[in-house]
Amino acid sequence: MSSILEVRHVSKHFQLHVQNNKHIAALHDVSFDLAAGEIIGLTGKSGSGKSTLMKCIYRTYLANAGQIVLHRADRSSIDLVSANEHEVLEVRRTEMFYCSQFLSVIPRVPAVDVVAESIRRRSGGDDATTREAARSLLDQLGLPRELWDAYPATFSGGEQQRVNVARAIVARPRFLLVDEPTASLDQRTKDVVIDLFLELKAAGTSIVLITHDQHTLDRMSDRRLHLAHGRVQEMVAA
Amino acid sequence: MRDETQPGWLLKVRGLTKIYGDPVSTSVQYTGPKFSTNICPETDAIVACAEIDFELWPGEVLGVVGESGSGKSTLVQLLYFDHPATSGEVYFRPVDGGRTNLLTLSNARKRQLRNTALGMVYQNPRDGLNFSFSAGGNIAEKLIMAGEMNVGRMRQRGSYLLDRTEVPVARMDQSPQSFSGGMQQRVQISKAIANNPPLLFLDEVTSGLDVSVQARVLDLIRQLQRELGVAMIVVSHDLAVIRMLTDRTLVMKNGRIVEAGLTDQILQDPQHAYTQLLVSSLL
Repeated sequence: MSSILEVRHVSKHFQLHVQNNKHIAALHDVSFDLAAGEIIGLTGKSGSGKSTLMKCIYRTYLANAGQIVLHRADRSSIDLVSANEHEVLEVRRTEMFYCSQFLSVIPRVPAVDVVAESIRRRSGGDDATTREAARSLLDQLGLPRELWDAYPATFSGGEQQRVNVARAIVARPRFLLVDEPTASLDQRTKDVVIDLFLELKAAGTSIVLITHDQHTLDRMSDRRLHLAHGRVQEMVAA
Repeated sequence: MRDETQPGWLLKVRGLTKIYGDPVSTSVQYTGPKFSTNICPETDAIVACAEIDFELWPGEVLGVVGESGSGKSTLVQLLYFDHPATSGEVYFRPVDGGRTNLLTLSNARKRQLRNTALGMVYQNPRDGLNFSFSAGGNIAEKLIMAGEMNVGRMRQRGSYLLDRTEVPVARMDQSPQSFSGGMQQRVQISKAIANNPPLLFLDEVTSGLDVSVQARVLDLIRQLQRELGVAMIVVSHDLAVIRMLTDRTLVMKNGRIVEAGLTDQILQDPQHAYTQLLVSSLL
């Protein structure tokens, strides 16, 4: 199977100028490939570098060394470490989606519009149709109906997480980064979320997943990349 | 790879510099973040901004942050031709396909460009509005400058814009002087977008407003950006404003750009010592 992502010798450290130039090593010489349609689960203790690696891939963090090559839908390639910002923004707009651990949305936008906006950005459509699609997904995820028109900033952790997952699902990205998608959900909702991600995978989406939840990891990941102290300890088939 | 001969930019800025007072040849060299000052040690000339390079794409929202005196307002004022630049080049796609340096245009041509292709919203509504005109008159002024002469059409456009920016149309014939701060900002926004410019400058537009009013103005700006697809340069010292509105951010200090990057990267993985200080100062 051809790979969609090639991570090569990526290192990342933080230089804290405001705190006596403190140097924090976060990733050291990390390499792996992600095949098209594959799900790799990143595992390791808190602080082992999982989220840092994910943020380097999304370019929220600037890697200090190495390459992160994404093979794009149009068969071109982009090194997310060195590409200019406009290219990265375009990739984010068209094929790479980051579903973070915490919902970060524009304030004062109702939940249904947060999700509908994600549909519109992906495939267009008028307000009425996209809102309807958004409502149906939020319903499927068990988000109480009375919250659909409320602002997510006021939601509980689990409610925010469902809005966040809904937004990622409707974006139907080619390449998805997901950080702890099921952490604050009950078992039934967890399985709904897992099923939705597996549907995306079946449709061709490649996923890098971070989860501390064994059930989510078992059901979703094809392979596991285990990190310890910012280094790859092992890559195992699930 | 993108074809470099067909650049996607709307605005391209190279080496833009503004010096007040009498500069000497070393004024730029001995000022800037390295020296923690923008005042020339020899002549006291003020290097308000220097060696500014960046590109803005159509529909893109670019943030400019930095403390007071960092040169961020000067930057947009130069681009809006409020003040003449000392040196540099500015290319704008709608003018000769981006081949002519705007700074070399005649004053008449600059004025025309300001009125038809650019919009500015200042921190202080008095800078952007004429208080001896009515709210509608202020918008009409911008329309007239762009060649509109039909009074009926101007009133129609004026009331549409005021309504769109949530200013009561019933107050169209009153001076903005009697308006609240938030309403004055909304009239300024109406005026700035009156001729559907492809590029809008917003200079600290929510500073000095109550937080609830600030929120409404920001929501309005975001909605307009989404509907009109207008490119914006948003100057603010408020990182929350920058986070909410922008895709990319330039960080300025002592008249220079010290860091440029994706807004989420600037906020979560700032590289420059000054940006780290700025981000760590967030409440």
